[in-house]
Amino acid sequence: MAEFTPANRTLISSATLARPRGKVIYWTVLSVVLVVFTLVFVGPLYWMATSGFKSVHEVLHNPPTLVPKDPQPSNYKTAWTQLKLAKLLWNTFYYAFGALAFQLVFDVAAAYALSKLRPVLGNIVLGGMLATLMIPSAVLIIPQYMTVLDLPLLHVNLINHPWAIWLPTVANGFNIFLLKRFFDSIPNDLMAAAAIDGAGPMRTLLSIVLPMSRPILGVVSIFAVVNVWKDFLWPMLVEPDPSKQPINIGINSLSQGVPQNVLIAALAISALPTLLIFLLFQRNIMSGLTAGSLKG
Amino acid sequence: MSRIRYRRLVAVALVAGIGLTSAACSSSDKKDDNGGSKASSSSAGTPLDPKTKVTISVDCMPPTTKKPERKQWLDDIAEFHKTYPNVTINSKDTFPCEDTDKFTAQLQGSSETDVFYSYVTDLNQVLDAGQAADITAYVNDKTVPNLKDIDPNVLAILKDDGKLYGLPTTNYSMGLVYNRKIFKDAGLDPDKPPTTWDEIRTDSKVIQDKLGSKGIHGFFEYGAGNQGGWHLTSALYGAGNNVVSEDGTKAAFNGPEATSILQTIHDMRWVDNSMPASAGKEWGESQKAMGAGQIGMYLAAPDDIQLMVQQYGANFNDLGMAPIPGGKTSLMGGNDYFFKKSDSPDQIKAGIAWINFKFLTLKKGQFNYARNKTDGIPVGLPQPFFFTGQSKATDTADKTQYATVPVQNYKSYVDAQVPVKGEPPNAQKLYTVLDTVMSGVLSNKGADIGKLLSSAETQANQLLAAGQ
Amino acid sequence: MAATTVPDKTTRRHAGRAAGPRTQGGRGGLSRKLSQNLQAYGFLIGAILCFGFFSWYPMVREFIMSFQQTRRGVTSWVGFKNIKTVYHDPYFWTAWKNTGMFTLYALVIGFVVPFFVAILLNELRHARAYLRILVYLPVMLPPVAGALLFKYFYNPEYGLFNRILKIFHLPTSQWLDSSHTALISVVVAATWMSMGSATLIYLAALQNIPGELYEAADLDGAGLWSKIWHVTVPQTRLVLSLMLLLQIVATMQEFTNVFLMAGGNGPENSTMTVVYMVYQYGYRYNNFGGAAALGLFLLLVLAGFSGLYARLNRNAD
Repeated sequence: MAEFTPANRTLISSATLARPRGKVIYWTVLSVVLVVFTLVFVGPLYWMATSGFKSVHEVLHNPPTLVPKDPQPSNYKTAWTQLKLAKLLWNTFYYAFGALAFQLVFDVAAAYALSKLRPVLGNIVLGGMLATLMIPSAVLIIPQYMTVLDLPLLHVNLINHPWAIWLPTVANGFNIFLLKRFFDSIPNDLMAAAAIDGAGPMRTLLSIVLPMSRPILGVVSIFAVVNVWKDFLWPMLVEPDPSKQPINIGINSLSQGVPQNVLIAALAISALPTLLIFLLFQRNIMSGLTAGSLKG
Repeated sequence: MSRIRYRRLVAVALVAGIGLTSAACSSSDKKDDNGGSKASSSSAGTPLDPKTKVTISVDCMPPTTKKPERKQWLDDIAEFHKTYPNVTINSKDTFPCEDTDKFTAQLQGSSETDVFYSYVTDLNQVLDAGQAADITAYVNDKTVPNLKDIDPNVLAILKDDGKLYGLPTTNYSMGLVYNRKIFKDAGLDPDKPPTTWDEIRTDSKVIQDKLGSKGIHGFFEYGAGNQGGWHLTSALYGAGNNVVSEDGTKAAFNGPEATSILQTIHDMRWVDNSMPASAGKEWGESQKAMGAGQIGMYLAAPDDIQLMVQQYGANFNDLGMAPIPGGKTSLMGGNDYFFKKSDSPDQIKAGIAWINFKFLTLKKGQFNYARNKTDGIPVGLPQPFFFTGQSKATDTADKTQYATVPVQNYKSYVDAQVPVKGEPPNAQKLYTVLDTVMSGVLSNKGADIGKLLSSAETQANQLLAAGQ
Repeated sequence: MAATTVPDKTTRRHAGRAAGPRTQGGRGGLSRKLSQNLQAYGFLIGAILCFGFFSWYPMVREFIMSFQQTRRGVTSWVGFKNIKTVYHDPYFWTAWKNTGMFTLYALVIGFVVPFFVAILLNELRHARAYLRILVYLPVMLPPVAGALLFKYFYNPEYGLFNRILKIFHLPTSQWLDSSHTALISVVVAATWMSMGSATLIYLAALQNIPGELYEAADLDGAGLWSKIWHVTVPQTRLVLSLMLLLQIVATMQEFTNVFLMAGGNGPENSTMTVVYMVYQYGYRYNNFGGAAALGLFLLLVLAGFSGLYARLNRNAD
């Protein structure tokens, strides 16, 4: 538990809390918060997990039941096989980590060039990239879709191909902004020193800049993975083949063909991998997110 | 009317024309037979040469959730291979077979399968996207032996400017599906289903009053997913109305019939409370609820009965089918397969051979009633009905021989012989617009029906104008 | 490169470019400059191509498409027809109103709630890690799980929420099935799913407020609200305004939740956002020109909004 000194005190001073009245109020508030927050944030998850065990009739029964009367674990098995969840989850991870790789390579290289190599017209390129921050992706969904159908100059159709998800994620002004700002803060002495040693830009990037940039790379990576994980409209449009869809699209399109209890079981399964990853790495993820967002 | 009559004329002319070309082709084929297969494979009118090596992708394979249908599909492919060992069919399962939005996306992206499923109303859209191959020259009584017996009205929907683009696989005419057991339990006569909207309202209220405490509602209606618009159109057809003008350029649904039907639905929902509180948003909700015995009746096509029994736990004996309320005309819709524009002639031939085998040959594929009976797929539903003449007679005889469903439950529907009427041009767009009207009535107690209809009329007129 | 580069360290802007000429000069310097530039663009090329194909070109394309239509595979110029069509759509203003209401609700609920939750959590001395994890849990759900789960809870017949209201003898609601409550129901669910990240960011900002400021406010006899208003809010202003912009931009392009929970347009088009309308024009009406024209409207509004924000921010600084 952190210590509360006057320097890091918060809204209410420790002295106030130490008074008998303060203590009573504090403990009441704490218990109410604990109960309410647990109900609000874990309650729905509990309901999801247990409703997956209910029978078709019980899951649509009014009033709803707190505990399944006659648990049917087979719903989970049906959901897993009929909705092909293994495939959907694998697709999702494939898209997410592919997008991550592309963003790390292209965006880091670009931000490095704009921050340290500063080519002619670099500022115009930077301006063009940052300008896209003002235009949310959904606005351009139609022309973007048309572009993916027939890539200009190359005349390639990217529909049903992972490139259709990976490449557009590179065009992320926010990444460039975060990375360039961070690289700007790396002292040029270091770069100059490396240059004296005869290191080219690539070696400088790999041996000096990247090792110093771990925090920001962590943030960009989390955003990259989460963005693909959360995206819906774009993958729905560019991955129409059911065997290539990520989990969000796959479950939604199959939701009409399965009974409610199997659907909820599928939802519970789909939530499990990320919840587990989060619970295992929550310390790193949360500190990474807050540190990065403050710097940004 | 004049449009339909015109279409029928075109159809007749076409059938005649096809007959002529096929005759021409077949005479030339005979010569080629001696000379070798080279020339015959290049002429469109001949059936696929079994020696031709060709691969086609086909969608709408039944999903894993529909076990017997899936098994039959695979068995049929195996049997088809005996005749055409060199044709490889890559089946894709999708459920539902068509989602209008994804269908658009597929057409835009040319990512549909070589032989692709659609609603018969989609021809216009498919042509706009430039995705359908003209199969006129490929379809004749050699490639599709039962062609002469396919109802020309059904084929006409798949034609544009005299050219044929698709082959039908099934068709339906809308009616009222109702739960006979619920009718009995509520003290209503299951052999006398309602035939007008007023009777629906009365019966629905009786069901609600008697059985509402058990969570059973009298009636169900959709308000989204194009289902609401489709049902409203069906209801208007039942009243003898149209939804667009005869030339297809103006909306024609805003009238006293629409107002009165919508008012009845509104009153069932808000005055009698004889409908569920949630307006159906997705296809499947009415079937699930009917299957679970929670609603008394709703507008549907006959194949819903099969779906409810196989997927959602309903019992054949409980389900009955009555003609569409009003009984003036009944909306006829259906499904078909189109052929992708980029298909090679051999792919088109292989596709036609497959569709012909699976969907258009009596005693085979979907018409193999003996097998349906063993596999537990119901036999005896009044659908499809696109055959006429000798084929129709054979089909009816087969159906009677293997019937597994209580045919008498659909007697009033079959006996009514309501004249069918095809769906409006740009049907899916109109349905989206009409969804809003239905959802307004179902979700808002104070809904202003006049305003909902006039807004929808403005919107529909614009869409129709933009589509010109 | 020798020690001559040292003075450049102070003028960081020119470090990379100026390094060469000092040592070499003349024609060699020029070609060196060229090769350095080429090298730099080598690093940039991947990103430039991606931006070009998927951001810059689509912006131009959106503009062009707004004046075109495609029939029977043939594209032609139609002037202002698309723009007129979408503008005269009876639900054009409804979509804007819904988007505006969505943003407003999202601000009242999705912006204020996490801020106060963060303040509350920051005051608690126990179970801090546990509460943080709780708030963040829903963020980790795939959107389809959160949205379809809430759709199930919202069902007026057998849903959990009406049951809870009934237990407490409160009036029940139609939730997603009424044009009056559908939009707000979506916002509440969306807030549940996403408030974790905002809360964590506010918490981090709150921890950076120097305690002395509160100490001084206490000495002035300031009450709780006064301290929040005069110390907490100004001290977190930067983060708050950034989050405000992000929140507004995010809600202006809302699609996923209305699509998953309310079937897109909702009862009587009550949840139809502008982005959903774009989608509907494209994929339902098969009118991509109209969809592009509608996107152009949204583009202009958002660009204007972002410009206004940048200007206000500059003035405030």
